[in-house]
Amino acid sequence: MNIMTDMKKFTSEPRLCDDLTVCVAGQGGDGSLTIVTLLSDVLAHHGLNLYRTSNIASRIKGGHASALVRGSFEQHGGLGSAINILVAFDDEAIRLRGPYLTDDAIVIYDTSRGPLPEGIVPETVTLLEVPFSRYSVRELARDLFKNSFGFGLLSRVLGLADIEADQYLTNRFKKLKGRAMEGNRQALKLGFEVADEFGLTVGHQMLQLPKGEKKDHLFITGNEATAFGFLAAGGRFYAGYPITPATEVMDWLGKNLPQFDGVMVQAEDELSAINMAIGASLTGARAMTGSSSPGIALMGESISHCGSAEIPMVIVNSQRAGPSTGMPTKVEQSDLGMMISGGNGDFPRIVLAPGNSHECFEIGALATNLAQIAQCPVFIALDRALSQDTMTVPYFDLDSVEMDTGKMLDAAEVAELDEYKRYKITKDGISPWAIPGTPEGMSLVTGNERNEWGQVSTDLANRVAMMDKRSRKLETIKPMLPKAIVYGDTASKVGIIGVGVVGGIISETHNLLEQEGYKFQVHRPRVLFPLLQETLDFIASCDRVYVVEHSESGQLERVLSGAGADPSKLHGIRKYDGTPFWSDELTNRIKDAEAAK
Amino acid sequence: MTTTYTPTNPVWCSGCGHYGVKGAMERSLAQLGIAPHETMLLTGIGCSGSVQNNINAYGYHSMHGRVLPTATGAALANPELTVIAAGGDGDGYAIGGGHLVHALKRNASVLYILMNNAVYGLTKGQNSPTSGTAVDAVADAPIDGVSMGLAIPGTTFLARGFTRDADQLNDLMTKALEHVRAKKGFAFLEVLSPCVTYNDTFPDWDARVHNVDADPDYAPNDRGAAFVKTMNLNSEGKIPTGLIYHEDRPCFEAELLKNDTSPAQLSAHDPKNHLDKLQAVMERYHM
Repeated sequence: MNIMTDMKKFTSEPRLCDDLTVCVAGQGGDGSLTIVTLLSDVLAHHGLNLYRTSNIASRIKGGHASALVRGSFEQHGGLGSAINILVAFDDEAIRLRGPYLTDDAIVIYDTSRGPLPEGIVPETVTLLEVPFSRYSVRELARDLFKNSFGFGLLSRVLGLADIEADQYLTNRFKKLKGRAMEGNRQALKLGFEVADEFGLTVGHQMLQLPKGEKKDHLFITGNEATAFGFLAAGGRFYAGYPITPATEVMDWLGKNLPQFDGVMVQAEDELSAINMAIGASLTGARAMTGSSSPGIALMGESISHCGSAEIPMVIVNSQRAGPSTGMPTKVEQSDLGMMISGGNGDFPRIVLAPGNSHECFEIGALATNLAQIAQCPVFIALDRALSQDTMTVPYFDLDSVEMDTGKMLDAAEVAELDEYKRYKITKDGISPWAIPGTPEGMSLVTGNERNEWGQVSTDLANRVAMMDKRSRKLETIKPMLPKAIVYGDTASKVGIIGVGVVGGIISETHNLLEQEGYKFQVHRPRVLFPLLQETLDFIASCDRVYVVEHSESGQLERVLSGAGADPSKLHGIRKYDGTPFWSDELTNRIKDAEAAK
Repeated sequence: MTTTYTPTNPVWCSGCGHYGVKGAMERSLAQLGIAPHETMLLTGIGCSGSVQNNINAYGYHSMHGRVLPTATGAALANPELTVIAAGGDGDGYAIGGGHLVHALKRNASVLYILMNNAVYGLTKGQNSPTSGTAVDAVADAPIDGVSMGLAIPGTTFLARGFTRDADQLNDLMTKALEHVRAKKGFAFLEVLSPCVTYNDTFPDWDARVHNVDADPDYAPNDRGAAFVKTMNLNSEGKIPTGLIYHEDRPCFEAELLKNDTSPAQLSAHDPKNHLDKLQAVMERYHM
C-alpha cells in the first residue's frame, strides 16, 4: 500500500517526553476513547501517572467529542499546559483543539473527507496526514477500525516495538472475538505500513517515552471511588435517578451493591430517590442518594427534612454547569451555596469536598460514618471533572475503613433504659436512637418541631431547646472532619485556595509559579461546611488570597467570607465556560493578578 | 419495661371518618398479632398524617406526598417489618400522584391506606383531586383511584372501604395486611373517609356505594371484569367498594434481595467481614 505521496521522512532525534498529553478528537461515535484507552496502558507501563478526561456533547452519537490522556511523572489532577499530540478525525476537531496545541505538537489528521484546510494549524507543528477512515472502510470494510489504524501509527511515533503495540491491543480487546479482533490487528498493521512511509521505522521515532518502572496503582474516577467508599463503610442502600454526570454512581452501586446484600433502586424521580433512601435510613440501613445540580435542587425539601428529623443521609452532588438545565456535560462548582444553605429553615449539615479519586473513596467512607454519628445530611461535593475523569491514585487502605454506628442503640441497650426518648436533649446535640424492630424502642420521627418523645410541639421553650440541640451537633463533629491539604511557602503572605477539581490544578500551578520564583502558600479545604477554623486562620495569615473556582458569582469566595474571612483579602480567579482550568492558564491568570497589585 | 412515647388521642373533629380508619387499623393489627415494635407506620401530610401519633408502633411523618417512596425504602431495607403508609387524597392523588403510580408498578410489600375525604381539610376546605362527582363533572373530573389502580399492570391488591362499614373495612385491612406480610407486594386500600367539617360526603356516599364483596358472581382475580364492573358502576353514579382486584405475583423485594441478609442487618455489613470481596472490587481498577 502506498498511501502517501511526496513523503517527508522524519529523521531528527526523538524528543524525550515525560509529560505527554494526547487528544483524540472527532465526532461522537468515532471511538475517540479507544485510542486513548490503549495509550493509557502504554503510558502506565512506562511508569507514568495518568489523568484521562473527555469532552462530549449531551447526545448519544455525533457532536464534537474528544478524549484526552495525560501521562506524567508527577500525579496531576488536571490537564497541564497544552496538547502534544492531536489525532483529529475531522477539521472541526482541529478548529476546536488547535488553539491548545504546543508549538512542537504532532497532528495526525484523517484526510478521508479532504485535505486539511490551509492555515488552521501553526506552521511549527508536525502534520501527518492519513485517510484513516477511507482506508479502513476500503481495506477492512469497517470505519471503526480507524482507531487501531491510528494507534499503529502512534505507536511508531512513540517508538514502541510492533509486537508491543500488538500486545497492548490484544490485551485491551481480549473480549473481542474472531473477526473483530483480527480486523483490529490488521488495522494496526496498516498503521505500521503508513509509519514506514513516513520514515517512522523502529528506532526512528519522534518522541521517546521514559523507561520508568511501572507502578501499581488504581485508575479510577471520582464517581466510582465515592460509591466504593460508601460500599466499603457498610453502605447498603442507594436510590437515584439518571442524570449526567452523576449516573455512574447509581450504575456502579446497581452492579456492586447486590454482591454485598445491598439494594440499589432507580426511582421515578429525585424526590422519590431521596425519600426511599430516607425510608431505608430510618430502618438503620446505611443509605445514600445522589444526583447532579438540578436533581439536588429537587431534593431540597427532603434534605431539610433529614436535618430536622435527624435522619442520617449521604448525598453525592456531581455538580454540573448551571443554572437550570445548564450544560450537563460541563464543569462548574456553582452549587456550593445550595449545599451549604439550601433547603428551608435552619438545620445542621456537613459539606465535604474531596479533591481527587483517592479522597473520593476516603470521604465516601467518612461521610457514611458521619451521617450516622451526626444523624444529619452529609453532602459529598463533586464536580463533573472529579466525577468522571479517570486518574491514577494509590491503592485504597481498606483495612482502615471502620463502620461507626454512632449512638444507635441495640435491643439490650434499650431494655436497660428507664425511658427512651428519640429526641432526647443531650450535651453534644446527638440523641441515642433505636431502629424499628427493636422491642420497646417505639418512637415518633417527624419533620414537625417536636418534643423529646417525638410528639409535635410548638412550645416556645421546647422549640428553642430543640433548635439549639441540633445546632450543637456541628461543634461535636468538627474534630472528626478532614483537615485541609496545605503546602507551599508558609512565610508567604499570598495564598491560593480552591476545592474539587481545582485543587489538583492548583497543585501543578503552584509548582509552575515556584519555578518562576513566586512564593505562595496553598490551602485546599476538604470541608466547606462547617468551615474549619484552620481555613479562616490561613486567610488571616495572608495579605491576599486567590480564590480559584468555577463559578461566575464566586460561590466559594462567599462561603469563605460568610464564615468570617476578611472579604477584602479575597481575590476571585474564576472560570465558568464549562471547562476546567489548564494549569498554564491558571498560572497566567495568577501572574496577571499579581502584576496588577 | 422501657417507657417510650404514649400514643395521644387524635386531633380530628368529632365525627371525622378517620376515626374509623384508625379503629380498623388497630383491630387488624391486633387480630394478626403484629407486635408494635415490628410495625412501622408512615404517614403523609394533612389530617390523615397524624394517625401515627395515635397508634403504638414505630411512627414516621413524611413530607407532603412522599410517604410511598419512604415506605418503599423501609420495606426494601428491612423486610421483617410490617410497613404501613397512610395519607390523604391530596397527598396520594395530587402532590404524590407520580409516586402512587410507581408504587403500584413496583409492587414492594407496603400497605397503603389512602384516606379519601375529597377535600383539603387541614387548610380549610379547598378542592382536592377527588372533589366533585364523577357523573356531573365535565371538566376537571375527579380522580378515581380504583380505575387508576386497575390500569397499572403492576397492581396486585386493590380495595376500597368506607368508614361507615367498619366490619368490611376491618376485613379489607386484614386482607391487605396479609397480602403485604406474605410478601406478595403492594396493597392499595382507598378508604372513603368523610370530612364532616368541610365536605360532609356521608349522605352522598351512603347513597352511592356499591359493595362488590356482596356480589357472589364478582371475581376479584379477573382484571378485565373488574374494569367493566367499575366502569359500569361509575357510569351509574355508583362507587364500588370491597376487594376490587387481587393477584399473586412476586414482590419487588423478592427480585432485589436474593439472600436472607437485608441492608438493615448492620452487623452483617461490617467491612471487616468483607475485606476479600472489597479487595477484589479494588483490583478491577489496577493499572
